Amino acid sequence: MKLLKPTWVNHNGKPIFSVDIHPDGTKFATGGQGQDSGKVVIWNMSPVLQEDDEKDENIPKMLCQMDNHLACVNCVRWSNSGMYLASGGDDKLIMVWKRATYIGPSTVFGSSGKLANVEQWRCVSILRSHSGDVMDVAWSPHDAWLASCSVDNTVVIWNAVKFPEILATLRGHSGLVKGLTWDPVGKYIASQADDRSLKVWRTLDWQLETSITKPFDECGGTTHVLRLSWSPDGHYLVSAHAMNNSGPTAQIIEREGWKTNMDFVGHRKAVTVVLTCLKRPLVVIHELFDKSIMDISWTLNGLGILVCSMDGSVAFLDFSQDELGDPLSEEEKSRIHQSTYGKSLAIMTEAQLSTAVIENPEMLKYQRRQQQQQLDQKSAATREMGSATSVAGVVNGESLEDIRKNLLKKQVETRTADGRRRITPLCIAQLDTGDFSTAFFNSIPLSGSLAGTMLSSHSSPQLLPLDSSTPNSFGASKPCTEPVVAASARPAGDSVNKDSMNATSTPAALSPSVLTTPSKIEPMKAFDSRFTERSKATPGAPALTSVTPTAAERLKEQNLVKELRPRDLLESSSDSDEKVPLAKPSSLSKRKLELEVETVEKKKKGRPRKDSRLMPVSLSVQSPAALTAEKEAMCLSAPALALKLPIPGPQRAFTLQVSSDPSMYIEVENEVTVVGGVKLSRLKCNREGKEWETVLTSRILTAAGSCDVVCVACEKRMLSVFSTCGRRLLSPILLPSPISTLHCTGSYVMALTAAATLSVWDVHRQVVVVKEESLHSILAGSDMTVSQILLTQHGIPVMNLSDGKAYCFNPSLSTWNLVSDKQDSLAQCADFRSSLPSQDAMLCSGPLAIIQGRTSNSGRQAARLFSVPHVVQQETTLAYLENQVAAALTLQSSHEYRHWLLLYARYLVNEGFEYRLREICKDLLGPVHYSTGSQWESTVVGLRKRELLKELLPVIGQNLRFQRLFTECQEQLDILRDK
Amino acid sequence: MAKVSVLNVAVLENPSPFHSPFRFEISFECSEALADDLEWKIIYVGSAESEEFDQILDSVLVGPVPAGRHMFVFQADAPNPSLIPETDAVGVTVVLITCTYHGQEFIRVGYYVNNEYLNPELRENPPMKPDFSQLQRNILASNPRVTRFHINWDNNTDRLEAIETQDPSLGCSLPLNCTPIKGLGLPGCIPGLLPENSMDCI
Repeated sequence: MKLLKPTWVNHNGKPIFSVDIHPDGTKFATGGQGQDSGKVVIWNMSPVLQEDDEKDENIPKMLCQMDNHLACVNCVRWSNSGMYLASGGDDKLIMVWKRATYIGPSTVFGSSGKLANVEQWRCVSILRSHSGDVMDVAWSPHDAWLASCSVDNTVVIWNAVKFPEILATLRGHSGLVKGLTWDPVGKYIASQADDRSLKVWRTLDWQLETSITKPFDECGGTTHVLRLSWSPDGHYLVSAHAMNNSGPTAQIIEREGWKTNMDFVGHRKAVTVVLTCLKRPLVVIHELFDKSIMDISWTLNGLGILVCSMDGSVAFLDFSQDELGDPLSEEEKSRIHQSTYGKSLAIMTEAQLSTAVIENPEMLKYQRRQQQQQLDQKSAATREMGSATSVAGVVNGESLEDIRKNLLKKQVETRTADGRRRITPLCIAQLDTGDFSTAFFNSIPLSGSLAGTMLSSHSSPQLLPLDSSTPNSFGASKPCTEPVVAASARPAGDSVNKDSMNATSTPAALSPSVLTTPSKIEPMKAFDSRFTERSKATPGAPALTSVTPTAAERLKEQNLVKELRPRDLLESSSDSDEKVPLAKPSSLSKRKLELEVETVEKKKKGRPRKDSRLMPVSLSVQSPAALTAEKEAMCLSAPALALKLPIPGPQRAFTLQVSSDPSMYIEVENEVTVVGGVKLSRLKCNREGKEWETVLTSRILTAAGSCDVVCVACEKRMLSVFSTCGRRLLSPILLPSPISTLHCTGSYVMALTAAATLSVWDVHRQVVVVKEESLHSILAGSDMTVSQILLTQHGIPVMNLSDGKAYCFNPSLSTWNLVSDKQDSLAQCADFRSSLPSQDAMLCSGPLAIIQGRTSNSGRQAARLFSVPHVVQQETTLAYLENQVAAALTLQSSHEYRHWLLLYARYLVNEGFEYRLREICKDLLGPVHYSTGSQWESTVVGLRKRELLKELLPVIGQNLRFQRLFTECQEQLDILRDK
Repeated sequence: MAKVSVLNVAVLENPSPFHSPFRFEISFECSEALADDLEWKIIYVGSAESEEFDQILDSVLVGPVPAGRHMFVFQADAPNPSLIPETDAVGVTVVLITCTYHGQEFIRVGYYVNNEYLNPELRENPPMKPDFSQLQRNILASNPRVTRFHINWDNNTDRLEAIETQDPSLGCSLPLNCTPIKGLGLPGCIPGLLPENSMDCI
């Protein structure tokens, strides 16, 4: 036997109350008193074991120290997996620590860099329940539970899978509970207290199994701790403090009948190692410490022990196999447990599950392959670790250095209601991170709704300057990150807009509120809600009276402005730094008298977009309430509930860029040629330098184009459609009411009329997709407006509303379906990170991604910020994923459907939801034997279902629980293939 | 346990002319999302003699603060020279960065600041009335004095007033280039500015 006292293991002379060796044997933790606080230190084991390592200065001795406990730490315990460390102290808290990777060595700020932590251990949970000092903590076998005991006379069982859930509080002791130990098979837990009793509790129902008092009758209540221990084979329980004939002993309690016939004699500040086959102690060591021994921990191989003492020192005892015998391996131990106690649920965990019989060789293959992949990934990860500094230093593709350089410029600063400066800090790392992914630049937990509520709830102005090249927090609150501007203002505001946009307009029709606004306003400022607020505050009456007589004129003028603006933007589109003005959408609906709102669309360079054909258009629709005033003025005899959308007014000329790659734009010149007194309008289209033009007899109000068609809406409700070469495809379509918005995607043409009806035609196949569908159902009843329109490549129209909801029209069902909701709390609570295949797969593009913007991504991140009970989390995640799958299906976006379906399936597999998984598989598989009566479709949104199932199989194969399902599907697919 | 710990404070643009703004890049870590904003302050100690010459250069709210590591730049204008006693204009003084949550201060970072003339002639014969435009401000960035206080982070009632950890390694001496001039180095001469235990190391 070798005995070593490593003097470098100390708490600066303060007592060490607890020691525990990490399950992998590479490090150990000590807990005790620190400077004015409790202290937990993690030490490197190798300098204890090997003299060479102790002398090598490059090998760190102290790995990490944590001063977070407010008072003395009484106990430190590693979880069996070694992943967590639990510490309990006089501050009544239990802290659970986890190692944070990727965050390199750091020093405590202000400590002159002397105390660098080599490893970063981060407190992941603080468990609060005890009303007194926590004396001992213990992890159950397989880490399912964590038990803690306290001087408040209770033992608390925590759910170690879902901290800080409490499973049970064991009451029954009438004195300070000072020690805990789990039965190695997880059937019992024993506690010892100052009330001179040792109690054994059942884990089945957390009730008392037995209370043993006899050996403790003579004990005094003077010990600091009463750490008892269960023998590894589970047969014996050894208590710490018993008296036999006035002599201190270690009482042995047999599992069989809880008999107390044996004890170990002879303790006085000594360490006694007892070999059970001998009658005498193997070794007794005297005067090892100045003060009493507080804790003992065996090494994994069972040949060494670490002992700590109140005097602040630690000793290591190293035995040889000759002295102690051969230790059993974990498997052997487990076998003994099983043979002795049988299989119980408590000891059946993943580890055991993996030893279950694999019924299908294919399953085995998948498991093997998976392991191989994991290995590959690991080696890739280690390779990456070589350049870890660069990995860690990058946030959002920007290096930390770059960020720091521009931090002051980029940091979002606002003013609160009382005029104070408020800075939104830049989030540089998530917590609890093994993964160093900071998906969003600012630390606002952004999802549309949060950003939205932030905007609306703060009555204080929130100006968020947007640099288009900066991924900003505001990106998510926009309906979509596309450069769409939905600006809204009343006449007064509008004229200011005009100023700010440098559009030519006469300030003739200024209402009084304009006078109160500064004449020179930067574009951004014009949309500052502070300003909007002010213009709202100005009395509405004068403006109203001035509007009534000249409303028509005014409208016209505004339309002119409206039409001019896109061009202005277009011209300046080369300037990538162009600021995008934003208006508070909520301000829009509130105002009573609200005139036209404009639609601006601009393509921005430097922002890559996967599909340029999916081009959202923004516009606003007035709800009936907002319209009343205008209706009176215009003497419209529309029914009371009719919706009315803004109509583009005629203008002399305008240009519209359809796409930049390939470059394609449309020019319209109205009333250019006079032939025999007849004015003609000219439509010009330029596509990659190839130009064509045609003439129309009436003035063109609006135009739209895609790579396949160009269409224009003229006065007299006429709609004309041309091919890419300028050939007329259809004779003019007569619209039911004047055009409001026109949009093309592929061969689909969508027309939204002023009466709020929507039509979509497939021009190539010459069929109607959506026939004069009213927007009434989605807009009715509130002051909602349409903020954005999208037409997918499959001709599905999608309306984004101002309240953050998006509906698409399902032509086969003739229904409006909700496909996205920014207010959706599901998206925020859903956490399916574990099911994400890899980071890049998240970059799934398609109409759904465009509609939902970045929310889907950031919501996922924000989910970490909420602490939700696991069950709720599961349910919300399921619900969210199902929503996504259904939405992708409704939008007929096959790519996204596949993405979300796989993700959903992976989540089901990970969380073990069998029924839903089985249903999915059944549907994907279909009937194996063909029958005429079958309703089964072999494809879904253009994807072959069985191909999808083949993709699903490896996912299912990851969980052995589903091996039956896996086998079933696999076999049936094989049958189908052989046919 | 403190929910917010300051990881680093980098002093930007140092040394700089007296009139240029203070800029600190502050990185901190938050273990749980905070319900309310943090309030940061920069306090310039005009005179070691009395607290009444302290100037709050600026205070700023920082939020929202979710769990994680964050950083921001705190910029504040230079102190108003008219509020600084003439005798204290040149020499060593202190600038403090404090952070409070719910009105309770939980960290205080102090830096020694040396104001001196760049021009050797002025240094030899300083003018009677200090010429602030000629002064250079040098913050002793390498030696922050950090004091942490226990505060009540939640809204429950039990309050902890004790001073938290005071790192013994803080006990470093003032570097030589930063000669204490007006007896600033004497213990306790800035009452209330730095807690006693961090001053007695000077």
